[in-house]
Amino acid sequence: MIRAFVDSALRETAFLRGSVWDLALVTWLPLLLLAIVAVQLSAGVMRDLPIVVVDEDGGGVARDLIRKLEASPGLKVAARPADMAQAEHLVRANAAYAVVLIPRDLERTVLRGETGKILLFYNASYSTPSGSVLREVGAVVQAQAKALAGEQSAAIAGPARVRPPPVSVQSRILYNPQASYELQLVALIHPALLHLLFMIAVVSALGRELRDGTIGAWLAGSRGEAVAAIAGKIAPYILIFLLWGALATGYLAAFRGWPVQGSVAMLMGGYLALYLAYAGMALFIVGATLSMGQALSMTALYAGASFAFAGAIFPIESASAFARLWSVLLPYTHFARLVVEQWMIGTPVAASARPILIMLVFLVVGMVAGLPRYLSARFSPDAWGRR
Amino acid sequence: MIGRAFLATFRAILADRSAFMLIVVSTILYSFFYPSAYSGEVAVRIPVAVVDLDNSGASRSLIRRISALQQAELAARLPSPQDAEHWLQTTGAGAVIVIPQGFERNILTGAQGTVALYGNGAYLLRSSTALSGAGLAITVIAAEAAIDQAMMQGAPVGPALSLVPRPLFNTREGYGSTVFPGVGFLIIHQTLLMGLTMLAATLRETLGRFRLPSRTLVGIALAFFVIGWADVAYYAGFVFWFQDYPRGGASPGALIVGGSLFVAATVAAALALASFFRTRERPLQLWMGTSLVIFFLAGLSWPAEATPAWLAILARLLPTTAGIHLMVGLNQMGASLGEQIREVLNLTFLILGYGALAWWRFTRGPVPLLETDSSATVPPSPNPAADQRSK
Repeated sequence: MIRAFVDSALRETAFLRGSVWDLALVTWLPLLLLAIVAVQLSAGVMRDLPIVVVDEDGGGVARDLIRKLEASPGLKVAARPADMAQAEHLVRANAAYAVVLIPRDLERTVLRGETGKILLFYNASYSTPSGSVLREVGAVVQAQAKALAGEQSAAIAGPARVRPPPVSVQSRILYNPQASYELQLVALIHPALLHLLFMIAVVSALGRELRDGTIGAWLAGSRGEAVAAIAGKIAPYILIFLLWGALATGYLAAFRGWPVQGSVAMLMGGYLALYLAYAGMALFIVGATLSMGQALSMTALYAGASFAFAGAIFPIESASAFARLWSVLLPYTHFARLVVEQWMIGTPVAASARPILIMLVFLVVGMVAGLPRYLSARFSPDAWGRR
Repeated sequence: MIGRAFLATFRAILADRSAFMLIVVSTILYSFFYPSAYSGEVAVRIPVAVVDLDNSGASRSLIRRISALQQAELAARLPSPQDAEHWLQTTGAGAVIVIPQGFERNILTGAQGTVALYGNGAYLLRSSTALSGAGLAITVIAAEAAIDQAMMQGAPVGPALSLVPRPLFNTREGYGSTVFPGVGFLIIHQTLLMGLTMLAATLRETLGRFRLPSRTLVGIALAFFVIGWADVAYYAGFVFWFQDYPRGGASPGALIVGGSLFVAATVAAALALASFFRTRERPLQLWMGTSLVIFFLAGLSWPAEATPAWLAILARLLPTTAGIHLMVGLNQMGASLGEQIREVLNLTFLILGYGALAWWRFTRGPVPLLETDSSATVPPSPNPAADQRSK
């Protein structure tokens, strides 16, 4: 048994050493994809987002506001078009994400002691940068309103009526105090890439033996030995991808300074459970199709869309019943929950045992529903060579 | 000869089950599958837990108003901040409102009563918009709730300035209408690319490094161009309408030019890439994992301004980067081709560059294809019997 496991693992690593592109799938391709994501999102917060300002008023209050917008680190006043038509043209040309419109008579309104309205038209087709622009402009306007209250309102209404509004709301963001997208996105995209590449590699490894008709010779021993050989074939991939998981975690936690609030051991245990779960689903899909090509297409459908359905980025709770069911049927959904709990929040370790146990159920499914069909395919040459 | 290669390409796709699944079936399947993930649309009602440490008339009045808010759903009333933190940890994307002791007294004495709103940064993307919406709404109702108490001081003046935000183009601001118009073109790109590459690799596997006459290459390219156009028409014409995503309605002429540029660039890139593959399954194995990375590189969800400049430039080598900007620009923002000239030029250069590379690679192989045998001008369906060889 142990012999069959080790022999099969050695056979697979020897194959990988001899096949440049199969080796690429587990070496430089994951590195390249992980690196692109890490580099792209390394800024974390968005700075110098271009906006345009239409100043219909031209007064001192407006000039002051524009100066403050220019000084804001999150914004860049890219142009000062004369009217809204020109401003919208610039937004349609992707030269700016938003238009700040300072209406005529702003100065007079403020001097009368009334509230001057400033309009912000933002490009909702690009929601992430526009959301950031909205927050930045809001903060600038609020700060100027406060400053004006001291200067102007006091002069008109008398200092006794210059009081802060009766209630203020202070918003704070817990578990990610810098409000950085780097932690949230990279910590979730990296495992989304890794589990997909892992499943492609395992489906390829299992499917290849069918395609090339080598499954009969490879699993020639007893049933027990055959099971051990299959485990031995998958083991190198689990090991390699655990290393990638550790590297991705180490990069963010140590190099980029987003320390793991909970348990690193739980996180790595989560990676192991994640890979075991997708190994189970790989067995299930290869067993069901007995064709490498079709199994790969099914993998694209099953593991390729995890990020959209996991519910960590988009709220899946309010989606359709199908989407919610599909979400639960993806091991990655449970892994994403583990990442949030153990990396960002620091939930007690015991509370995160649940997602790990759920992921292991997928391994059992693969063992029960996929393994027997794959095993029996070794005796039926008719099933070999399908593509 | 162009016509023969054109028709033979369609025959080859119909004869190859995996290629047919990839190019035709999955394009349709994904058009329903992906939008379902975003069917939640706007997360208007963020679950909120309230901790009332003041337990006064003012705080109870505030809680009553919060429970009637459109933006928030009063999910729990908890005795202590510790309970609230535990609730936030287990709920996921929610928010906690803490009304501190002395809230009412502060209002009555003319000072400011503060309410703390805590969001969950572990779900930043989901909760930040909902959180700022809830924060604004609470500010308004808190002022109303407090106004009676504060009256004895004389009504305070309003703020000198206030900001009125208005969304442009994608006025529904749903997740689906923001993300899927980009994802749709990514799906078209990836299925065309992998399907074409798989057929070419199958042919390469059985024939060795083959040579195509230029006109056969044009015929094959035209066939995939037609398929790509059918995809674009189906997504932009039916799927976006069926899902009721906002459509700005650029002129049909602009849409035809834009769609043609995107499809042509995708086909040219696919042909260039296809010339490098030698094994049938290899394109699926190596390219399938790239979708998520390509989507983020396109700059729809993460802006190019926040991407390192050299990476943003490299990303423009992908047809999806300019293609998604252009199609969202025309389709959703109602832009003209002139306004999107950068993307138009970008795609044109890609068509020329990848087209030249594909032509150079495919017209120089050592093994000529028989020009009279139309079945051999395009990849034949894989023959299981011929593949029973060990690697």
